[in-house]
Amino acid sequence: MSNLAIFFWLLNIVLDTTGHLAFKAAAVIEHESEWQRWKALLSSPPLWLGAGCFCLEFVVWLALLSLVPLSLGMLLGSINIVVVMVAGKWLFGERLDRMRVAGMWLITLGVALSGGGA
Amino acid sequence: MSTRRFYLIGFGALMLFDTVTQLCFKLASTHAGEFMPSLTWLREVFFNPWIYGAVVGYIGAFITWMTLLKHAPVGPAFAASHLEIVTVLIVSVLYFGEHLTLLQVFGAFLIVAGIVCLSRSEAEQPKSDAEPPP
Repeated sequence: MSNLAIFFWLLNIVLDTTGHLAFKAAAVIEHESEWQRWKALLSSPPLWLGAGCFCLEFVVWLALLSLVPLSLGMLLGSINIVVVMVAGKWLFGERLDRMRVAGMWLITLGVALSGGGA
Repeated sequence: MSTRRFYLIGFGALMLFDTVTQLCFKLASTHAGEFMPSLTWLREVFFNPWIYGAVVGYIGAFITWMTLLKHAPVGPAFAASHLEIVTVLIVSVLYFGEHLTLLQVFGAFLIVAGIVCLSRSEAEQPKSDAEPPP
């Protein structure tokens, strides 16, 4: 895998994780009515940060797929699940039980094996 | 509609939309050629029809996902939302003629096993107030 492909893969992880975390930060805003909640949501900077990240990720994913086979892209992209979960634990104190940790290790190992020989 | 049939159609549709999206992504990037930091490359990407196939796939997956989440337990739904990796790998080999090494096949099995673990963990969370399927 070329250095450029590795760069796009890492950028994809950063954008995907930031996008999910920003959406989560925007979604936890509490308001009295659903209408007020949506109003606050649409004027919340994290929501637009998240939307921007996902738009940029769209182009970055295309750039990555222009450099690597689809199968490799999909296998490597699975690491996003793990990074988002670790970030969720770190920033929002989300639960990480033994089953989740086991799942995260299996995915990480799977990604390492898939990408190792590429 | 029976619960079983609802889930089968719903999860099947979700995987189908996700797979079509990735297939269109690959076709769009192949059409545009290897990445170049130029407007020409971006124009090649955004002016070919496959990219709009990917957008339609995204919208379809989003609608299916929201419908599923209203009725389905979050655990299996979470797993199904990531299990498109299996169908995309099959399409990569059969349609694009890509070659998977033994190590990559083993890696894919581990990833799927990991997703199943995560889905079981989600399923063990307190039950949500999901509505029964229609």
